[in-house]
Amino acid sequence: MYYMKYYSHTYKFPAQQIRCGGGHHKEMFITPSRFQWNKCKDMVHYYVFLGVIPLSLITFFVNIYVGPATLTPIPENYKPKYWEYYRHPVTRFISRYIMPNPQMEYERHMNVLHEEEERRQLYLLEKKVKQLMAERSDYQAYYYSPNTAIKYYRKMKEVKKEENDRQGDNL
Amino acid sequence: MGDNKTPRNIFDGFINAAVTLIDSPVTWFRERVVTPNRESYPWYHQKFRRVPTIDECYTDDVICFYEANSQFKRDKAVDSEILTILRVRMEDCNMFHGPDAEAKCKSLVETYKEAEANWFCKYGDLGFHGNVKDAYMKQKHRMVWERRHGPVGSGMRDAAAAAGDE
Repeated sequence: MYYMKYYSHTYKFPAQQIRCGGGHHKEMFITPSRFQWNKCKDMVHYYVFLGVIPLSLITFFVNIYVGPATLTPIPENYKPKYWEYYRHPVTRFISRYIMPNPQMEYERHMNVLHEEEERRQLYLLEKKVKQLMAERSDYQAYYYSPNTAIKYYRKMKEVKKEENDRQGDNL
Repeated sequence: MGDNKTPRNIFDGFINAAVTLIDSPVTWFRERVVTPNRESYPWYHQKFRRVPTIDECYTDDVICFYEANSQFKRDKAVDSEILTILRVRMEDCNMFHGPDAEAKCKSLVETYKEAEANWFCKYGDLGFHGNVKDAYMKQKHRMVWERRHGPVGSGMRDAAAAAGDE
């Protein structure tokens, strides 16, 4: 009941006292909202204790005790790693452990371009073939519709001829 | 930082003292705390190999085009930095000499103007999406124009004269 000091004027009303066997009364304290104060404390805890202080400490000690690199010419027969092209130790850390190797990404991208180009060439070839088949109609493929009903036409023609022969023209 | 010469007068001495007041704690911290605890380690400037340029690529070679375009963008960045350095030199000279700048800074101005014209020849007017193919075509158009009309800057001949000389 620490807040009673501040809110001694709050109204306490007892809940139903049907069973007061244990002797304790349930009371509801009407107090003003402490939401803003609690939220403020949460934000201070989060942003300062988990944000400002650890990051400041890391920045301070990295800049003092590790320090930035010195620019040197590349020694003979030595190929620097991809993170050794940056100066600040935090940038080098991010480049080494978080970001991918730029040369690897470059070559992967070229591989993707090559595959897509091969797919594109195959698509263009198919398109050309279909266009020629449409123009020339000389190939039993894409635009071909098989006239399999011709045998029925021939049969009906025979039947009609036989009827015509039997019945004559003046009907 | 911090003039350690003997002060010429009281004001000089006062300024020396003020600068030393601010400078010495920082210098002490640097020399006693920071420098002994650091190991120096190197970093390098990346050197890129030269790859075939766009005029050596086949028309359907996407990989060659991508590498030529990347090289073009790198070269454009380097050339832009070089132009900035020349421009800064020229502007510093002009600003320093003020009214005498026309006489004193002539060589720097000429160098910069020539470099700027060359930069514009290669990279200018290509737009935001300009790639190496656009630059190559720009060069081709300029060479055709020069064949018909003479060097750039000497005006256009009329159609008959241009066709006759070509």
